[in-house]
Amino acid sequence: MSLAFTTCGFCSAGCGMYVQVEGGRVIGVCGSANHPVSSGRLCIKGWNATPAILGPDRLKKPLVRKGDRLEPVTWEEAISFAASSIRRILDDVGPQGIGVIGSARTTNEECYSLVKFARSVIGTANIDGANRFSDFSLVPGLLATTGVPASQVDINALPRAGSMLIVGANVTEQLPHIGSRIEQAALNGCRIISVDPRVSRLNPHTHMWLHPKPGTDLLWARAMLKVILDSSSYAETAAELGGFQELKSSLGDIEVSQLKYSCWLEPEDLIRATQILADNPPVVVMFGLGVLQQVNSTELVKALADIALLLGGSVMPLRGQNNAQGASDVGLACDYLPGYAHVSDPAARKMWELLWNCKLPAEPGLSAVEMVNACGSGELKGLVVFGENVALSAPNTQVSMDALRKAEFLAVSDMYLTETASLAHVVFPACSFLEKDGTFTSIERRVQRVRKVVEPVGESKPDLEIIADLAKALGSEISREPAKILGEIAANVAWYRGLSLDKVSEPWGVQWKIPEVEPTLVLVADGAYQEKAEYPFLLIASRQVYNQHTGTVSARCPVLLREYPDTYAELNEADAERLGLRPNREIRISSEHGSILRILMLNDGVPQGCIHVPHFFGGDSPNALASYECDPISGVPVYKTCSVKVEAVK
Amino acid sequence: MRESEAAVLKKSDVSAFFGSLASDMRLIAPKEAFGGDVIFDAIESPKDIVWDYGHDIYPPKRFLLPHYEEMFRYDCRGRIHIQPAPKPSPQAIIGIRSCDISAIRFQERFFTQPIVDPYYKDRLDATVLFGLVCTKPPRRECFCICCDSGPWLESGFDVQLTDLGDRFLYEVGSDKGAKATEPRAYLLTPARSEDFAERRRLELQADSLFQTTSYIAKAITYISADEVPDEVWEELGSTCFRCGACTNLCPVCTCFTVDDVENTDGTFSRCRSWDSCQFSGFTREASGHNPRSAYGQRVQRRFYHKCSYQYIMRDGRHGCVGCGRCITACLTNLGLPDVVKRIRRAMHAYLEPETKRSEV
Repeated sequence: MSLAFTTCGFCSAGCGMYVQVEGGRVIGVCGSANHPVSSGRLCIKGWNATPAILGPDRLKKPLVRKGDRLEPVTWEEAISFAASSIRRILDDVGPQGIGVIGSARTTNEECYSLVKFARSVIGTANIDGANRFSDFSLVPGLLATTGVPASQVDINALPRAGSMLIVGANVTEQLPHIGSRIEQAALNGCRIISVDPRVSRLNPHTHMWLHPKPGTDLLWARAMLKVILDSSSYAETAAELGGFQELKSSLGDIEVSQLKYSCWLEPEDLIRATQILADNPPVVVMFGLGVLQQVNSTELVKALADIALLLGGSVMPLRGQNNAQGASDVGLACDYLPGYAHVSDPAARKMWELLWNCKLPAEPGLSAVEMVNACGSGELKGLVVFGENVALSAPNTQVSMDALRKAEFLAVSDMYLTETASLAHVVFPACSFLEKDGTFTSIERRVQRVRKVVEPVGESKPDLEIIADLAKALGSEISREPAKILGEIAANVAWYRGLSLDKVSEPWGVQWKIPEVEPTLVLVADGAYQEKAEYPFLLIASRQVYNQHTGTVSARCPVLLREYPDTYAELNEADAERLGLRPNREIRISSEHGSILRILMLNDGVPQGCIHVPHFFGGDSPNALASYECDPISGVPVYKTCSVKVEAVK
Repeated sequence: MRESEAAVLKKSDVSAFFGSLASDMRLIAPKEAFGGDVIFDAIESPKDIVWDYGHDIYPPKRFLLPHYEEMFRYDCRGRIHIQPAPKPSPQAIIGIRSCDISAIRFQERFFTQPIVDPYYKDRLDATVLFGLVCTKPPRRECFCICCDSGPWLESGFDVQLTDLGDRFLYEVGSDKGAKATEPRAYLLTPARSEDFAERRRLELQADSLFQTTSYIAKAITYISADEVPDEVWEELGSTCFRCGACTNLCPVCTCFTVDDVENTDGTFSRCRSWDSCQFSGFTREASGHNPRSAYGQRVQRRFYHKCSYQYIMRDGRHGCVGCGRCITACLTNLGLPDVVKRIRRAMHAYLEPETKRSEV
């Protein structure tokens, strides 16, 4: 078989990629030379992890739990078992007893279909996407400010920026194609201001570092707003924006001089950084999971968007998963309908009720985090999970695993027998993006074709067919054709209007246009992470270049796995000395909610009082230390800041 | 036809010529992929060959040293049974550029002397290389002219084609080339002096069109004498994105890793795939000690292998053919000419104490 063209399914940059498969194995991979993002390049995951998508232990048959074991069964048996379990719960407790969690890794069509399945076939409001665990706080944050929960900048426009404010993002490692453009921008003279508690790999390209105390970003961001307004450094047009006066008068209480104590920043540094941004338009404000997974993350997104709006610049939220943008665009959320109408909006509800022939409640259902929690409390009897290793991506790993075990019925559709799938009552073998058709939407709003380049592994099916099979068994019809479903999305979601599978099949897809929405400056509430005295260190969680998410695919790639023989955590040398901890020895990091073991490394790029804990393969991640505490507006868990203690393992 | 006799192949006969070759072997040629991309791939008909393709990012080295290949299969249930991979079938790589042919000759030496790698050798023996000269540098990044590997070759090709407008100058460079030409020689006519004059004119014209130059000789001196300061390598390493594309796409790079992969039928396959000296796990020893644990050391390693006398003596030439793929594939600026430039500049600063390091 020849090289076949498709869209890479790892990060959200959306590279055009060729894959060659022979005898069920990937035997060739390369980037498209003409594709605007890949431009002949791939990152380490594109190059190396692609073969791991067709690993030998892919699920090949549906499995049903019989006693302690998951036994292979026919598709008919698996579907009818699942349907009867769902029906039983519907009869017992009604639709609110069932939850559905989808994935930001599956196609737009699959995400949309799952929303339709949950809301109209099951009739539950408990439908959410896995990006609730990662970046969903940008949705309410940006809807309130720029009006568009997406990047306003195209990837290839980045090198033309005059200055950038990059907050809480390990972008060179997690989104290498964007990191590469940032470097290009720096070479072109763009001034890069990096904000991160520790020194990250952006270092060689950074003109100025701000290392705030973890969990205090709202303090300096509000102070930066005040500095911009007080020094009249804002763009001329900004004064005409709605909310300008209100914002200005709301910041009176801020004492910039106090930043030194409250968030470890020298006030002069913040003033200088602000001046650099104001003097070097166009400004791009980027933020990653360091912002999006914080306490009060929605407020922080608003503050950063306000900064961008005041400086006449644009925002680029850095999303992790390949289809994070598309999944939220098509309404994979408990609080929004496709196209970002809030469920409380009666007109939008009416429109979707008519289309889906169902009744939609005005109240949001349970979020993904709440669903996992509700399995433990018994509030939720059944949970259906498509394409997400919830057991590891949810916080508070030990409690979450126990909660999932308590579910009366857990159905999981995945490529591999993940930690979540191994707890399930029924497991559907799902196809990877190499085995199905559909579309992904990239970080720059580019809707691109995902192409079937190889026949499904074993008896696996695309999620779209599994959803249709389940719907059918429950007495409803949902299309199994990506073209038809994209047609339905295009007819009803404004930003996707006019799109069709044929249209996005043309070279490099179609970028949906940023609608003309009047941006607004909004007030930003104050707030900071509350430390816990008995846990004296602040956790800095990060992601590494070789790992992706919970490692379901990347951990199956020998070259990537080989890169990390030891899972480590980093402390400042002074802290290690104070605690009598020696490098290369095992340490225990514990919070109120869990503990993990790591090998200690010393790194003076980590500030004193903090510990840097990267995510590693197979769920060896700082998620285990996080509580169910969430950002109150968006419901995104607080993974990034957490009070921990560190001790030697005897 | 005897070796090194030149002939002319009319473009109107190209389809007939390669069409008849297709009955003897699989044809691999630059083929239109998606959205204007052209990539070497197996072709159905000579009509699929994109003759004016420029340059391919995915080097044709993969038809000799596949990106991923199965070496043999084994079964340990009961008596151990080893099943070798089938012998490679004959193939012609049509339209391969001079830089890539030079790289294959480099790899041939590596994989056959002093120890013969049977997988590579068998594939190479079954392959006829029909080179296609670049009458102008296809890309800005090309610098074969600095590396003695193009745009024209004196030797190393089986057949070398030069586009002269309505015809190709057809030069045979090896017995293998002669053998592949013989049955179709009736489609060739002897070359005339005008054909050579035209080729000479194009050659001179092409020489002046290169936009990338790499003064590699100076870097060879510095690197061979181990004079480049560690800080320079560290600085270079600090910007590396660790993707491994430079070594993947380098037509000269030979490194591979070996894995045993389980098959669905319970047997195992021993597979090898391209690997990279830019990964930390590549050199880590079983004890956990890593002689090249820092990124800078690994970048240094790559350029030692490309540019130090130690390897030039062993391999017969320096390890770069000027194809420019490490420039286009790099997420930062660690292509060979950039690194050579940075080494030269750094050395300049280093050798002149007055110049501050910060100005480098």
